[in-house]
Amino acid sequence: MNHLPFEEWLLNETAVTPEQKRDLDLHLRSCTYCSALLETGRMLNNARMAGPAAGFTARFQTHLAERKIADRRLKLWGAFLFTLGGLALLMWLTAPYIASFLTSPASWISVVVGWFVFLGTTLFALFDAGLVILSVIPNFLPPFAWMVLLSMIAGVALLWTVSIWRLVRVPQGV
Amino acid sequence: MNDENAWVLQAQQGNDGAFTQLVETYQKPVYNLCYRMLGEPELAEDAAQETFLRAYQNLHRYDSSRAFGTWILSIAAHYCIDRLRKKKFSVFSIDAEDEDGMPFEVADPASPDPEVESVTKEDRDHLHILLKDLDPTDRAAVIMRYWYDYSEVEIAQSLKLTVSAVKSRLHRSRRALAGMWQEKMSHARPERRSRESLAF
Repeated sequence: MNHLPFEEWLLNETAVTPEQKRDLDLHLRSCTYCSALLETGRMLNNARMAGPAAGFTARFQTHLAERKIADRRLKLWGAFLFTLGGLALLMWLTAPYIASFLTSPASWISVVVGWFVFLGTTLFALFDAGLVILSVIPNFLPPFAWMVLLSMIAGVALLWTVSIWRLVRVPQGV
Repeated sequence: MNDENAWVLQAQQGNDGAFTQLVETYQKPVYNLCYRMLGEPELAEDAAQETFLRAYQNLHRYDSSRAFGTWILSIAAHYCIDRLRKKKFSVFSIDAEDEDGMPFEVADPASPDPEVESVTKEDRDHLHILLKDLDPTDRAAVIMRYWYDYSEVEIAQSLKLTVSAVKSRLHRSRRALAGMWQEKMSHARPERRSRESLAF
């Protein structure tokens, strides 16, 4: 059976003229499919809202409180396990060194002292070398090169300051 | 700024009382959507509660240019669709709502005739049973269209579909419902047909 255009009218709930309605009624008498389409459309258009049992909001508040506690507990456990894991990893990595230090502390102490002595002497040497370079360079550099150098340093400093300010500023309002 | 926008804003700033106002306002539409999607009052209650919990947790993601109602119904629809896809509901009882007194359907003062009421109730139950055979997304589209008068654009936004896909799903669902109804009626009493109204 040809359902056009009746099926389209019923699906789109098109407003029909009296003539079209007469044709539709005639078609519906012989077409069970279009009758079913009309009937289900009528049922859908008469559908009602179902509401929850009384006290829904109170039950929600209870659920929300439970969920908050569960979330807090989860975060605490997460932080605890993370810290414990980090400590275990650290212990695992440092265990050989600690064991070695505990068995022969004298050799470790001499290594550490030697390292600090090396660091100190290196820094002093670099400082002296820097002083020599600074006392010699002005004789080689023309005055405009100094201006360019200082401008570049000022520009970099400004860029750095602005970047830090943008990163740390707190947004106001929502 | 209306009350609802103020509540949303206050809730976003951590005011639980304001969120409670939103729960009060939207409990019925959200519950109804879940009930029509899942078919069982207990499942609908759980789904509605979960919807509000999800909304609470994701309130910072809410885009205030959208209606709050559309946003929360979208959460409910997606939750129900996921739930239906994860688990096929083999039992689809409608008796529980009468025995337990839930869900509560709003009485219509314009139809006091008990016989008419009885027929309407019967239709609602038939509709409830027919809906369960639709694909979850199609069912959500039908519910949003007929229970909430959502436009095809609003349904498309809520279900993350294109408008043409929504139109096609609605037509497909209507045809499927008609087919199921036709099959059901072929086994039913012949006198039922005399009650059919041809008016739009």
